[in-house]
Amino acid sequence: MKNMKPVIYKFALVAIILVVLNYIYKFTFFENDIQAHSNIINIVRNVVNEKAEVIYVGESSNISFRSDDIDKRPISDFIHDYYPTKKFGSITKEATHAGIYYELLRNIPENASAKTIIVTLNLRSFDANWVYSNLETPLQKSMVLLKKYPPLFNRFLLAFKGYDIKTDKEREEQFKEKWKNDTLKFPTPFKYKNVIDWDNAMAKYGVRNADGSINRPLTDVACQYIKTYAFQIDTITNPRIKDFDKIVLLAQERNWNLVFNLLGENVERADSLVGKELVYLIKQNRDLLVKRYHKNKVRVVDNLEAVGNSEYIDKNWTTEHYAEQGRKAIAKNVAECLKEIYSKDYVKVSYNNTKPDNFFINCDGNTPWGQTQSLTSEKSFSGEKSSKTGNKQDYSITFEYPIKGLPDSLKQVSIDMQLFQNSINTDAKLTIEISGKDIEPKWYGILVKELSTTTNKWNKANYVFTLPQNFYQANLIKVYVYNPTPSVIYIDDLNIKFKR
Amino acid sequence: MLFNSLEFLLFFPIVTLLFYALPHKYRWMHLLAASCVFYMFFIPQYIFILFATIIIDYVAAIWIEKAVERRKKAYLIISIISTCLVLFIFKYYDFFNDNMLILSHKFGFYYPEKAIHFILPIGLSFHTFQSLSYVIEVYKGKQKAERHFGIYSLYVMFYPQLVTGPIERPQNLLVQLREEKKFSYSNISQGFRLILFGLFIKMVIADNIAGYVDQIYENPIIYNSLSIITGLFFYSFQIYCDFLGYSTIAVGTALAMGYRLMDNFKNPYMSKSIGEFWQRWHISLSTWFRDYVYFSLGGNKVKIQRWMVNILIVFILSGLWHGANWTFILWGFAHGLVYITERLITRILKLKKSENKVLVLVSNTFHIIKTFIMVSFIWILFRATDLHQIKIICKSIIHNIGIADDFKVEPKIWLLFGLFILIDRLLYNTRFDVWCNNCNEAVRWTVYSVMIFLIIAFSSVNNFPFIYFQF
Repeated sequence: MKNMKPVIYKFALVAIILVVLNYIYKFTFFENDIQAHSNIINIVRNVVNEKAEVIYVGESSNISFRSDDIDKRPISDFIHDYYPTKKFGSITKEATHAGIYYELLRNIPENASAKTIIVTLNLRSFDANWVYSNLETPLQKSMVLLKKYPPLFNRFLLAFKGYDIKTDKEREEQFKEKWKNDTLKFPTPFKYKNVIDWDNAMAKYGVRNADGSINRPLTDVACQYIKTYAFQIDTITNPRIKDFDKIVLLAQERNWNLVFNLLGENVERADSLVGKELVYLIKQNRDLLVKRYHKNKVRVVDNLEAVGNSEYIDKNWTTEHYAEQGRKAIAKNVAECLKEIYSKDYVKVSYNNTKPDNFFINCDGNTPWGQTQSLTSEKSFSGEKSSKTGNKQDYSITFEYPIKGLPDSLKQVSIDMQLFQNSINTDAKLTIEISGKDIEPKWYGILVKELSTTTNKWNKANYVFTLPQNFYQANLIKVYVYNPTPSVIYIDDLNIKFKR
Repeated sequence: MLFNSLEFLLFFPIVTLLFYALPHKYRWMHLLAASCVFYMFFIPQYIFILFATIIIDYVAAIWIEKAVERRKKAYLIISIISTCLVLFIFKYYDFFNDNMLILSHKFGFYYPEKAIHFILPIGLSFHTFQSLSYVIEVYKGKQKAERHFGIYSLYVMFYPQLVTGPIERPQNLLVQLREEKKFSYSNISQGFRLILFGLFIKMVIADNIAGYVDQIYENPIIYNSLSIITGLFFYSFQIYCDFLGYSTIAVGTALAMGYRLMDNFKNPYMSKSIGEFWQRWHISLSTWFRDYVYFSLGGNKVKIQRWMVNILIVFILSGLWHGANWTFILWGFAHGLVYITERLITRILKLKKSENKVLVLVSNTFHIIKTFIMVSFIWILFRATDLHQIKIICKSIIHNIGIADDFKVEPKIWLLFGLFILIDRLLYNTRFDVWCNNCNEAVRWTVYSVMIFLIIAFSSVNNFPFIYFQF
């Protein structure tokens, strides 16, 4: 025991040192680390700073759109249309799920303006394929610094890989194990007892063409549907249930109105490709979730069958990516549900068919334009971001619009933008691209150096393109700056005006 | 289980506390069980392979000891072949198979292709060599055959050095495993110091450099010569810090329980020649090859031509030990070639040592830099995934002079790099725990605090496994 004394004394000393180091870390490197490894928190911070009262939390289903959508705005914006007087905010991050939502919501300060939280309830996120997805490791890693422990301890967890870290192979083993071990139960006898058996049988016997041969591409999609939807939620063991339960508790603690937006799944296609047994499982899971969370006093909007097959963007994969009408249908149902909370603020929305001819982006916030990976906070003319092109990012933020959504008899397109270049770029071009099913794609470009020779400061550039005579034979128009050079150009406040 | 994981941070204190809490006669069981748990964190079923090796050499050693001269040798050969067969199947079979296929295509003979694609059991080369060293020592009569199967198993499986060494000799480790270890504050404290230092070296230096090295090796063609050379030098430090870090943690972990393992490194980049480098780099492996291969081939007591062949054999085998790939064989061959050249030049020139201190300093500095550069360039052969990549790197170094690239090293990395070089110089021919003994308490605790802070706040967040795990 005498020998142990110095050990105990040293341990106490280490504890004191750690407390001091925690403070040093918190006030020095912590924020840098957050920006480097957990910058997802910025989305939450923005929503809080904007004093949003209604917060929509979701994944790619919120922001995905089809190229021929006339209105490419996210579901959350469509819901906002019904409550224009309310301040809306959106926390959207692709491939996330309730476990991530919980951590993000927990990081909303208690004194924030948030009153109502709409959380995406994605049925697919309960499936083993998603629960044990290889995206889980980076997602979990991005959450470590946001946990409720002292900052130095969070950094310690990050350093010593104290989160759910697994290789892709280990993840694959996990979900295959689950597919094998979970026995599917049906009210009537069914040939296949688990996903593996069912999937193998589908792969073997396949979806048939009219002549009786196997349609391989459709069979692959059918197999994917089985692997995605053939499961029965076990409320004791399914980690996603625990995540949603935690969100319910958090909402109760914070006195938030909680709405679960149960997303639409392509039940129609599941039925046609696989059959009624799969639809039975999908609906059984839906019923379980709706019932469970109704019981917990959560408003659950059941959108499972709200979107028809034609409104699903991905035909060869199982996603909740909806085209414009699909997103609007989901939004409408959620908006109806919010009436229980904000009945006075509700306005009727009818989306008229007025075709817009002017489009503007200041590169901030969720944008329905393409090449959003070019957005950067390095520089901006207005707001916080601009679009950076060059140095391996060949395309700037890209305006993509279906030509059927534009007014008739257009002759010209006038493009205004703010430009910032460090040196005069010799090869970058402001480009319009016109393409369609029946015509060859065409590109029209003007060298950026002909629009602006100003360097190292923002400068307005303008150019008017004359639209080709066969413009209305095309389907899609794109406008962007193409810059394949290492020399960087920033653009901001891009305004596109079509003229007759 | 990785040393730089949360699991190990829990495992180590529990195992150490239990070790001291248990009476001596039960400790081997405890350590053996702990070693099994440690090993089974990787691929649990592979423990049976390990047991197969253990049983073969355990029985062989007893037979060797009992047998008379001719039989003795036969048992030794059987034991070596059986042990190496396991290594061959898991590590070299596919390489052999691929090369046989190439030869069959070239010379038109029939070869039935049968690849196995086994995942290499972690640390297989290390414990195979440790096991072999035991039977050879018993054969030489320098070590008694161990009758206690548990103790012998522990000798092969002792968890601190199970997966990446140091490759211990029975005279050192087996003897210690029988000794009763008393709780000693000094051992605990020195053990902790080494673990702290090892974690610092691995997590803060090696892992922070690793990303830059990967960047260069993934696509060397887009970088200019200067960037590639920087990447090569980074790799020299990455592999050194990675392996030094792991070995230091291993030594520290064992020391906390009173077991003294050999040091694997002694400032290798301060070597003035390749010969000296090999006396300072991966010492447990180089002495293994020296004692069991080089001396068996006749060492330097043979004609010069034969000596050169001996050297090349030893270095090529050393390369092959690292991995089943021509790159490793080339790496070993290159070291052998440089070693021979250096020795021949020294022999021919017969240089006398100067007594002028300034001249000595200049000469030493020159030789240290020269050796470091040579070793760094030879590391290309070690790090490259195949011969094609080696070609691309060499081509890029020669041709991509002055082309702009994206290889930007954060200032933090240069600072850490400078810090490490300073530390390495400070610890010249000593060890961190010993160095700490000579410091006063305030300095010591300041150093600990800085290291703890750097480990937590500056370690890489990416997952870079220990490089030597693959061997």
